[in-house]
Amino acid sequence: MAVVGKNVPHDSARGHVSGESLYVDDIAPARGEVLVDFLWSPHARARIRSADLDAARKVPGVVALLTHRDLHHNLFGPIYKDEILLAVDECTFRGQPIVVIAAENAEAIRKARAAIVIDYEPLEPILTIDQAIAAQSFFPDPRIIRRGDADAALANAEHILEGIFENKGQDHFYLESQAALAFPEEHGALTILSSTQNPTEVQEVIAHLLGLQMNQVVVETKRMGGAFGGKECQATHPAAMAALAAQKTRRPARIAYNKDDDMHATGKRHPFQNRYRVGFNSSGEIVAAQFDLYSDGGAYADLSPAVMGRAMTHVDNAYFIPNVEIRGTVCRTNMPPNTAFRGFGGPQGATTIESVMEEIAAVLKKDALDVRRANCYGIDSRNTTPYGQIVENNTLPRLFKELPERADYKRRLAEVKRFNESSETHLKGISTTAVKFGISFNTKFLNQANALVNVYLDGSVQVSTGATEMGQGVNTKIQQVVADELGIEPERVIVMVTSTEKNNNTSATAASSAADLNGGAAVDACRRIRERMAQVFRTSTAAKGEIVFADGQVWDAADLTKKMTFDDLVGIAYRSRVSLGERGFYATPRISWDWTTGGNPFLYFTMGVACSEVLIDRFTGEMKVLRSDVLMDIGRPINPGVDRGQITGAFIQGMGWLTTEDLQYGAQGELLSHSPTTYKIPNIHDLPEVFNVDWIEHDNPVNLYGSKAVGEPPLLMSISVWCAVKHALSFVSNGEVARLRVPATSEEILMRMSHSRAAVAQGVQR
Amino acid sequence: MRNEVIFFINGAEHRAGGEGVFQTLSRYLRYDQRATGTKIVCEEGDCGACTVLIGRREGKGLRYRPVNSCIQFLFQLDGTHVVTVEGLSRNGLTPLQESMVRTHGAQCGYCTPGFVMAMAAMYEGGARPASPADVRSALTGNLCRCTGYEPIIKAALDVNGQPAIDDLFPPAPIVEALPNGEGVRIGNFFKPASLAQAIEFKAAHPKCVIVQGATDFGVWCNKRGFVPEAVLSLDAVPGLDELRIEGDELHVGGRTTLAVLEEFVEGKIPQLAKILDRFGSPQIKNAGTLAGNVANASPIADSLPFLYVTGATLELSGSTGVRNVPVEKFYRGYKTLDLQPDEIITRVRIPLPAAADSLRLYKVSKRSHLDISSFTAAVLMRRRADQIESVRIAYGGVGPVVLRLPKTERFLAGRPFALETFEEAGPIARSEITPISDVRGSADFRYLLAGNVLRKFYYDVR
Ligand SMILES: Cc1cc2nc3c(=O)[nH]c(=O)nc-3n(C[C@H](O)[C@H](O)[C@H](O)COP(=O)(O)OP(=O)(O)OC[C@H]3O[C@@H](n4cnc5c(N)ncnc54)[C@H](O)[C@@H]3O)c2cc1C
Ligand code: FES
Ligand code: FES
Repeated sequence: MAVVGKNVPHDSARGHVSGESLYVDDIAPARGEVLVDFLWSPHARARIRSADLDAARKVPGVVALLTHRDLHHNLFGPIYKDEILLAVDECTFRGQPIVVIAAENAEAIRKARAAIVIDYEPLEPILTIDQAIAAQSFFPDPRIIRRGDADAALANAEHILEGIFENKGQDHFYLESQAALAFPEEHGALTILSSTQNPTEVQEVIAHLLGLQMNQVVVETKRMGGAFGGKECQATHPAAMAALAAQKTRRPARIAYNKDDDMHATGKRHPFQNRYRVGFNSSGEIVAAQFDLYSDGGAYADLSPAVMGRAMTHVDNAYFIPNVEIRGTVCRTNMPPNTAFRGFGGPQGATTIESVMEEIAAVLKKDALDVRRANCYGIDSRNTTPYGQIVENNTLPRLFKELPERADYKRRLAEVKRFNESSETHLKGISTTAVKFGISFNTKFLNQANALVNVYLDGSVQVSTGATEMGQGVNTKIQQVVADELGIEPERVIVMVTSTEKNNNTSATAASSAADLNGGAAVDACRRIRERMAQVFRTSTAAKGEIVFADGQVWDAADLTKKMTFDDLVGIAYRSRVSLGERGFYATPRISWDWTTGGNPFLYFTMGVACSEVLIDRFTGEMKVLRSDVLMDIGRPINPGVDRGQITGAFIQGMGWLTTEDLQYGAQGELLSHSPTTYKIPNIHDLPEVFNVDWIEHDNPVNLYGSKAVGEPPLLMSISVWCAVKHALSFVSNGEVARLRVPATSEEILMRMSHSRAAVAQGVQR
Repeated sequence: MRNEVIFFINGAEHRAGGEGVFQTLSRYLRYDQRATGTKIVCEEGDCGACTVLIGRREGKGLRYRPVNSCIQFLFQLDGTHVVTVEGLSRNGLTPLQESMVRTHGAQCGYCTPGFVMAMAAMYEGGARPASPADVRSALTGNLCRCTGYEPIIKAALDVNGQPAIDDLFPPAPIVEALPNGEGVRIGNFFKPASLAQAIEFKAAHPKCVIVQGATDFGVWCNKRGFVPEAVLSLDAVPGLDELRIEGDELHVGGRTTLAVLEEFVEGKIPQLAKILDRFGSPQIKNAGTLAGNVANASPIADSLPFLYVTGATLELSGSTGVRNVPVEKFYRGYKTLDLQPDEIITRVRIPLPAAADSLRLYKVSKRSHLDISSFTAAVLMRRRADQIESVRIAYGGVGPVVLRLPKTERFLAGRPFALETFEEAGPIARSEITPISDVRGSADFRYLLAGNVLRKFYYDVR
């Protein structure tokens, strides 16, 4: 009985609900362990005139104080090698580590931190995109994607719309803050337990910074208490600090950020400022568009250029734009380096054009859904993206038809209009938005994976891959796939801790593609093992037909009397000296990408359409989501329960970014909302009152078992909520296009309503 | 007088003395007891990952309520039974945990033990959630970043045969072994068995902090490094948990928790119940007290506008006897109180709004639940036919203390009950406040709200 496609529980679920599952900081301290923490820069930008550590060294319980001088190298970075771990003579963001403190206990760390004397000379920081543009402070290589002649087409367009879409960042707010444990081994080697999405990067960076070969560093990741992109690059810093402490003290070393420090010191989803000029005709069809995207990359490049790349390849979202010009510039500021966050620039790109759709509809006084349909990528024509990839297997037109029907959109839109005409106290809005999310890393070489499958003498199986488990269920999916490949029960398969010792040179668990890549590699390994076992079966039974592996049995399809258990066949294979282990490999086929010529960066697209309706209090700006309907094309899910959870979770997380999650900074760039008291991720009451989540039956022939990646795309379904707010505002905007920033907090909404309603007439008087 | 606290964890007795009693329960569990199912995320009561059940004596048995163990200190646990996720799972997974497994209620799992414990509380005392709304309200205090909550709500409603904690831990032997009502003194921690002793201690230690729920105190300690000179617990002082209606007044004892108050006023003062529904979370309300909210003197404390417009009085007990101070007079400036060093709030007396009067309480916050207010308001109006006879208005979050709006009140009195009246009152209300911009909202936002809320009131009661 196949288990792919079944609702198998998460492989850690029983441990999670009983509290038995271990996370890094749950691991009992080893004898002699030191605690590690760091002193961070209180300034966004400052010169370090001098640092005096003498008093701190004398604090009882302090074991070591380490600075950049203790590092072998101090330069790393996933794209450009531009990032330093420990500040040298200048701090470039607030929260930047300067001194690593290793001590016997937390008290000693606290006292040592207070005793360190650093003389800073504060320098003028760059804190915003505007300031960066004014100072021309950019990371290298602004990018451009171009098709047709946008200038000419704009000049001839019937209507022109201009505007700026702006979004704030978003903290990942994984519940388990950054953490790592480092153990010194023989001959200078190190073992690191890290809460990371990217064990290979942690390994590579630590080896480099500490002057080791990569083969001397083993990095293991059992699980993460959430990550969402925040542990793709930025788990490296804590791990490296723990590793440095372990190397220098020769003692096991533990680091576990508290939530406040984590929020202060780590980068976030990128703020963007996207300027657009869009030309369209009277039916709402876009004829040309220019997008000029700016993101705040922070102090170091981190993944910002790649995030910009994805923003640029997702600013079209579900819509065909014949003449288009997309520019992308990453600003260098004095904020913590912004980094990957579920969607990876895609949400900032897609929200821009969804916002444009609302605005076109407002200008033409049309139903925004009709405008979107008029622009939606076609099946046979109007189906090439600005970067030249054909949107194959396109289900967007179908989704744009089915979802509004299911959601009863037309009737509810009319109802919303009636409501807004009669209600003096509340305002409603409704919007239907789409997602077309490209699957594959934009960087081609990352699209590879390896897997190790070991079959043991009793027929039980261990699988190891480079995928890391952060709750998204990748291990469960791999377990299911391996069970089916070998025709055994999923209980006979365990997915092991992710370790660089077993899987080398792995890519980050990111870009939604961990199951695609690592599952593909596991399938490759299983098929080779199965092939060898089938050969053994043929030899020992003289079978002539196709050899079937299923239900824990192996048989000859041509002669059912030739049958034995999988476990027995394993025994025979072993005694016949046939290898029962295999390493599989997968490299995504068909993809190609070049900034100048374009190409097919993505193997396929995950798609969806969502409709949300909101209710706004006209007096307070408070907003409530009344109903959301989501319909997606996620191929044939390997695990429907896991995928459903990805959709609901991503939707709510995206909604948080778009509505209540409000990063507030002081004048010197200090983060003011650095804990859940002031930084409000969605709560259980914020769920839409009615929340319908479903997907269509649709095969994805190019991927693992017909499935599609589902980690990031549904986050963009929540754009429907934000657009519904924008739609509501259009009723009180006096004929002007209603503007709205991200996040649409109650304050943002109230201020927009008050300005547009000229309620200012009643005015803010002091 | 004992010199250690005695409590139970998962059926086993624990004793703590010395400096150790100032440790939080979550750290004690994780780092001393290596019971790491209980997670620490925020250490300020705002995420619920550290949720445990605390059983306190009620009648002959124990009543279990969920609390945040990150802002509970061991000295608060004297006489209680703590049940953690490990305790709940002592005989294997309970049906609600099985349900969480089935419905994919756990993804990364980090929030899960906290959710499981808050869910277990829903099944105490023979209760069970009947609707998604019940589940939402029971799980207000738990954040999950992965699931979007939907699978958790499903899990909570799909449970059969969940045992009560009493089934897992028969209460009789625990109740028998727990101390009851006697005093404790450990260094500068004092838990007296009489009010007189409490006042005496307070007089002797003017800087001592009364710690009740510790929902404010715990945050100061964890986040601001606050170290109290002395700590006074009122837990063993008899009579302070009084809660009753006396004539046309509601009497709330100085130790009454917000949860108990909320249950009591349900149906009796619906507006107060509504605002208490949006106050913190079950975990916070099970620990936090009304007196604590009053004494903490935050200008955005949610109970205060209500207490202002109803004309509540605080009963303060000190060495020289009892004083009654109107709540409005209690605040002399930002966090400065008319409270002598030896005084304790022993009772809050709240005149009940007359049935004919219109009362509305408002709380505006970034997130609807489990959020500190950006702006609060209370409006209590008496009307005769189409005329406003009198009105009392109190705003919070617009100055250093909660403010009454006398000019606006005078303006409204005697005017027709009409939208225009309330629109005209807006600018007057704005002239009476001095809001600042902070992380919870800009001054402009608050100015707007100060006017708008009057119009909202008009529509709400018209
Ligand atoms: C996560 C979280 C959410 C919260 N949400 C809200 C909210 O929505 N609305 C809101 O208004 N508040 C909120 N609070 C604040 C807090 O919960 C309340 O102020 C609560 O009422 C405090 O009561 P307590 O018993 O816990 O006080 P404690 O922390 O024990 O004490 C607080 C102060 O009051 C003094 N005190 C206590 N009792 C007395 C007494 N009888 N006589 C004299 N002084 C006394 C103490 O000495 C201390 O200075 C929240 C807090 C947290 C951590
Ligand atoms: S750790 Fe967040 S509430 Fe206790
Ligand atoms: S399952 Fe990850 S935070 Fe809830």
